[in-house]
Amino acid sequence: MSNIPKHRQLPDKENRLFKELLTQYEYKQYKKGLKAADTILKKFPNHGETIALKALTLHSSLPFPMTVAGLTKQEEAESLARLAVKKDITSHITWHVLGILAKTRKDWDEATRAFAMARKQDSENIPLMRDSIALYLHTRQFSQAVAARHQHLLLRPTLRSSWTSLIIAHHLNGDMTEGIEVYDQYLGIVKNDGATSSEKAQLLMHIITMCMEAGQWDDALRRLENGLKDGVLSTRGQVTQLKAEILMQLGRESESEDVWRALIEQNPDNLSYYDGFLRTKGYEIRKSVTLDSTSKIVSLLNSFAESYPKALAPRRMCLDIARGDEFRDLARAYLVNGLEKAIPSLFVDVKGLYVDLERMKIVGEIVEDLIQTLEKDAGLHDDDSKAPPTALLWAYYFLALHLAHPAHPNPSYDRSLQLLSTALKHTPTLPEIYMAEAMVRKRAGDILGAAKAMEEARLLDGQDRFLNCKAAKYWLRVGEVAKAEELTAMFTKKDIATSQDLTDLQCLWFLQEEGDSYRANGNLGMALKRYQSLATTFQDYEDDQYDFHTYCLRRMTFSAYYSLMKYEDQLRSHPAYFKASLAAINIYTRLHDDPSLKEEKLTAEEEAERKKAAKKAQKAEQKARKAAAATGEGKKEDQPVPDEDPQGSKLLKTETPLDEALKLWKPLELLASSRIETWTTGYQIYIRKKLYLAAFKCLLQAHDIDPRDPNLHWEIIHFKQTVSAVPDLAEPVKMTTDQLLPSLIPSDADLAAYNANLLSQHSSSPAHILGAAKGLSELDTTRPIPSSSLQAIESTLSRLAAHDVPPSVAIMSSALKLMKELGAPISSIDSLRDTYKSRVPLASVFESDEELKRRRREALEGEEVANGVKPDL
Amino acid sequence: MDIRQATIDDFLGMQNANLLNLPENYTFKYYLYHALTWPELSYVAVDPRGRIVGYILAKMEEEPTDEPSGHVTSISVLRPYRRLGLANRLMKQSQEAMVAHYNAAQITLHVRKSNRAAISLYRDSLGFEVHVMEKGYYADGEDAYGMRFLFKRKDEESKAST
Repeated sequence: MSNIPKHRQLPDKENRLFKELLTQYEYKQYKKGLKAADTILKKFPNHGETIALKALTLHSSLPFPMTVAGLTKQEEAESLARLAVKKDITSHITWHVLGILAKTRKDWDEATRAFAMARKQDSENIPLMRDSIALYLHTRQFSQAVAARHQHLLLRPTLRSSWTSLIIAHHLNGDMTEGIEVYDQYLGIVKNDGATSSEKAQLLMHIITMCMEAGQWDDALRRLENGLKDGVLSTRGQVTQLKAEILMQLGRESESEDVWRALIEQNPDNLSYYDGFLRTKGYEIRKSVTLDSTSKIVSLLNSFAESYPKALAPRRMCLDIARGDEFRDLARAYLVNGLEKAIPSLFVDVKGLYVDLERMKIVGEIVEDLIQTLEKDAGLHDDDSKAPPTALLWAYYFLALHLAHPAHPNPSYDRSLQLLSTALKHTPTLPEIYMAEAMVRKRAGDILGAAKAMEEARLLDGQDRFLNCKAAKYWLRVGEVAKAEELTAMFTKKDIATSQDLTDLQCLWFLQEEGDSYRANGNLGMALKRYQSLATTFQDYEDDQYDFHTYCLRRMTFSAYYSLMKYEDQLRSHPAYFKASLAAINIYTRLHDDPSLKEEKLTAEEEAERKKAAKKAQKAEQKARKAAAATGEGKKEDQPVPDEDPQGSKLLKTETPLDEALKLWKPLELLASSRIETWTTGYQIYIRKKLYLAAFKCLLQAHDIDPRDPNLHWEIIHFKQTVSAVPDLAEPVKMTTDQLLPSLIPSDADLAAYNANLLSQHSSSPAHILGAAKGLSELDTTRPIPSSSLQAIESTLSRLAAHDVPPSVAIMSSALKLMKELGAPISSIDSLRDTYKSRVPLASVFESDEELKRRRREALEGEEVANGVKPDL
Repeated sequence: MDIRQATIDDFLGMQNANLLNLPENYTFKYYLYHALTWPELSYVAVDPRGRIVGYILAKMEEEPTDEPSGHVTSISVLRPYRRLGLANRLMKQSQEAMVAHYNAAQITLHVRKSNRAAISLYRDSLGFEVHVMEKGYYADGEDAYGMRFLFKRKDEESKAST
């Protein structure tokens, strides 16, 4: 009693109340608790621990989902918790409460600090220690976690988890040897630890991988074999794979071979098992295969194909390996089998071969030949057997997709569509044919026709969510957000907006595609809203790991936990994050360049639509409120907190667009550093911030990846022009660029010649043609740009329609956009568009605005007809 | 298509495939719960570009019993990849893992009463049988069939062979 500091002491009555308060909190009697706290505070308003407990009680009584009234209480709890620490800075309770609140807010750094302070006051408090360790792990402070684990072990040496958790902490801290030592000690001390057999297996497996990571191969093998002998480990799956890898490392190839064979027996469709098996024979098939070894590898794979007749992998792998005539024979047999069995996925299975144009060509020839045979009603085998009638249908389908594949050097969309319409005559109710048509039209640039075709596929099987999603996605591609949402709503919750449900469900494709759709429509606020939701989803994915710091140690799933930690560290290298952040950054840089974009400019039509939507939303809200009132939950403060920025206008009106862009970009710098777009995009942010060194560093990084990248190309010109126009360039910047810029572009280079050089070296690459045109636009910095320069740009861009250049609808669209941005006269934009149109006649994006509107109306109305009453039969 | 045990970095792809294909969806944390409790039981089918085109998300029933029971939370193959027998292969691998690692005696799953295609896949090609009907199991009120498949236990097999 005596060592309690004076300011914390309470008279008996209040002391009793304080103890009651603790119990009430534990039993979730929050109202009573708050009353008790207030009674104490009336007499002792400065009692820190009571203030802290009041904060905690208030915090625990917050409603879920959060309501308007709840928000106020939450703020009160937060400020009370901070006040409590001020009043009693040496109490473990005040710091603990501050930590708990920060943890709920997912402010992991503050929580970690607060828990560390709390532990300082009460170093033997086990629950406090556990939370604190979880936070150290979460914030990757591994040496701190190890220290805390040590202390935990000293306090609880008989507890299994004290030991096992220390092992994993050492591992995460990069100290395998220490971790393995703790494990061996643990085995010596704790005889019967009460772990289930699968828990024992999880732990031993992890120790084996630690040995492997430390390069202790003999030790790993010994532990593994003992584990198998003792029956702790099962031979199924991963253990056996580890064994095969260890034997390989130890140079015991023939033993390793047997183990790989055993794995193939377990799962003859696992590709890495074949890779491993072939490695024991000296073949690294993912790296390179010499010409004279292909037949040997094929015959090895074929023997597996015979042993496992149902397995797909060995037969399919042969196609990746074989070349020339051998490939032709194998591919023919593979295709005939697939067509006769009417496997729709034959094309998606085979198209993986198209990374090699030679194989792609042969596949095309085979299918053409098969079609000729089938059209003559002949069989596909040497005997008199006849092919089933569906074989021809699927052959048409295959060839249509083949001819429109992006890798095809001479895509023939017309013929593809013809083939599909023949197939349709054969079987008019097969969604796959319409899906293929949609795909072909998309590739040909006819995005409206594509949406229409995908919609038709969907209507043939309304229960299939895949078709529904595809159709929604295609509608989004043509800017029809409302139509798309009408479709997605068929599979989402009825009581909330479909976009909200899909956001809650972390539906990344939808957030990206709808963002893109809004962006294309010029609704930048909503586009930002979707992209930012996607970025927030990644924050949620990161936060999700928190509970598993303690959960996995209890379940003893160490290997899975370890890989989770590694995974979360590079989470944002995921392509979905990459794509959304680049799109958002592009909007933010545009907002910086042209703040007038922050003010929405709506056409009369759009305004009317917006009003209609607002009215609808208002009605829905009224209805919801009425329904809520009926159930007695009508009070406004009990309503869930509404979306603060339903139209994304707050996001749009940001004062600091470049800082927002940088926030999204930072993870890419770290995690997507091998992608050139990371650096060419980083340049766009830094050059606008006038951080010339940082911008220059981006160019250097990009140059290391691909010195001939078309975006890098014009950015280099832009950089050179920009810095030479800055009158008071800081000395370090000047020094660095003087020294290093020549590695990107010779200092005496004539910029015009430099630009022309790119074009002549990549004269048939659409991206480089566009890059050179942008280069031209940077060469002449006068604005408005003089017509002589504009003509040069236009003539470069017209090359995109040349016959030796593969047609790229996307790049042609960007070219037209560039012309618009440069303020080119309508007549020259129209003539360029006509040039493109004649090169890709199907591309709906190059039609006039009126024609597009007409077709759009037609597509949507066509829907209504199709959705409406069935025709009389 | 490669058929292999799912690793942590496959679960976002699984979530994506699930959202594209099925009406029953889960947030990422629920996938993590499977991955970090029964890491051996979930499998994926992967295309040559590394994209997940099919998956089985599986678990064991949590209550300890003498007859451990496996459960399929979700299984699905993207429409363009059907008829390759992927679902079959995924199911078989997961089942083998349940027996080997958790000594499972049976495996159960739920299916919408209206989903005839799935019911016939489970019954005719995977050997499941309906053992219970659960009224209003799904969020939209639809009934579910509880289906199950009994594993041949190793001791029974050896008994049968002697």
